[in-house]
Amino acid sequence: MRVSATWLWPISGAASLFALWWGVVVFFEVRPFIAPNPFAVISALWTNRSLLLLNLVPTATEALCGFLLGNLVAVTLATVFIHSATLRRMYFPVAVIFNTIPIIALSPVLILLFGLSVASKVIIAAVICLFPTLVNMIRGFESVSASELELMHVMSASRREVFFRLRLPRSMPFLFAALRIACTTSVIGAIVSEWIGTDTGIGVLIIQATFDYRTELLYAAIVTSSALALAMFGTVALLEHLLVRWRTS
Amino acid sequence: MDHGLAIALTDLEVSFERDVRRVVAFTGVSLQAEAGRFVVLIGPSGCGKSTLLRVVADLLAAGTGRVQVFGKAPAQVREARRISFVFQDATLLPWRSVLDNVRLPLQVGNWRQVRRNNRQPEELIRLVGLAGREDALPHELSGGQRQRVSIARALVTNPDILLMDEPFGALDEITRDRLNDELLRIWRETKTTIVFVTHSLSEAAFLGQSVVVMGANPGRIIEEIDLDVRKPDNRIDRTSAEFFAITSQLRAVLERAYGDRAAS
Repeated sequence: MRVSATWLWPISGAASLFALWWGVVVFFEVRPFIAPNPFAVISALWTNRSLLLLNLVPTATEALCGFLLGNLVAVTLATVFIHSATLRRMYFPVAVIFNTIPIIALSPVLILLFGLSVASKVIIAAVICLFPTLVNMIRGFESVSASELELMHVMSASRREVFFRLRLPRSMPFLFAALRIACTTSVIGAIVSEWIGTDTGIGVLIIQATFDYRTELLYAAIVTSSALALAMFGTVALLEHLLVRWRTS
Repeated sequence: MDHGLAIALTDLEVSFERDVRRVVAFTGVSLQAEAGRFVVLIGPSGCGKSTLLRVVADLLAAGTGRVQVFGKAPAQVREARRISFVFQDATLLPWRSVLDNVRLPLQVGNWRQVRRNNRQPEELIRLVGLAGREDALPHELSGGQRQRVSIARALVTNPDILLMDEPFGALDEITRDRLNDELLRIWRETKTTIVFVTHSLSEAAFLGQSVVVMGANPGRIIEEIDLDVRKPDNRIDRTSAEFFAITSQLRAVLERAYGDRAAS
């Protein structure tokens, strides 16, 4: 009973907004190429399913590889930074400044460097999710308490033992918070990277559908990209539920 | 078991840098404790009793003076894994079960290389009265139960000296009394040296074979009270006249410590 009730609220919320959308489109007689009604989008999802799936595969690959690469580099950098104050002082500000460059401005540069291959798109997706994870992981590694560090010291634990037995497990909630952010941003990175010089992917489909006034296909492509981010988000949430069973006091 | 002195402090001074000023934690501290004794440190906040404990545990460096633990430097004794420390908060790792928390000291710090005999984690969990809760996570336990786990963890290495920094300070009085009873029982059984910091008069009177009263500004030892004669075999009834007399004596000495502070 209670489980179904908690699901009922967001579902009725979404349904009410769909009804509003449908009502506005019908009442004001909005032309389909400006904004299609929700049923047209659902039928477009079905009729274009093979086209959408064909374009989803490269986008999902880029987003997923970028997600893994970006987070791996971020966790590695955070590990280096908490063990070397010098390296942190030298390179963390550089990372902060690098993060202010808009990803859309950076993508032509990366395409010049890495060509129109999958590699440049993976790197763009990786760059966009790197910074939030880096900041979160540094905070996570440093979230150990003074008495926890004293405990490890009295037991004569080595730096490696302090890292693997204390800092790394301590940082897990911070890691998963960062991974949740990275799910959506890595998809953004993959789609943006497809706007420049490529011929397949959801990003390409979005641009083409817009220029061809196939608005219901544009909406269907948007729904597909959102579903991709949602699937990644769900996987991360499930992993967190399985791996982080503990709570702080 | 070691004979002779567990702790020998000679004219010890410790100070910190705090906002460019030097703050003296305590000065002129000399103290000796024989192996196997139960020593209680009591005093007002700011008297340096926790700092003193941390110097013995090699968590802080001594300024001037001499610190010897079993005739050696604290760092050597720590590296030989002969010291255990119990903190005010239980400091359990929240992702580890009760059993895995108690096992932790055997998994780090070259435990195998130091070739000491450890105690069985399961047996210690029974000793602190938590049999059956081995698989519980810390957030499923009460504050008193968490502190019991941390005591079991401190005992698993079979330490020669157990340093306890206000371990029961956050617990209610009934729980505290019960844990004090159990701590004495454990101490009798293990014969380990215990240095126990508290600011509770009745806790000090109940637990200590000797009670060291410290004063603040600057931190120093005011008086050392041996209770061997008045508490044969370190046993005393909390409702007895003798217990009341000891508590009153400690109170008088402590009030002097506070009085000195107001005067300075």
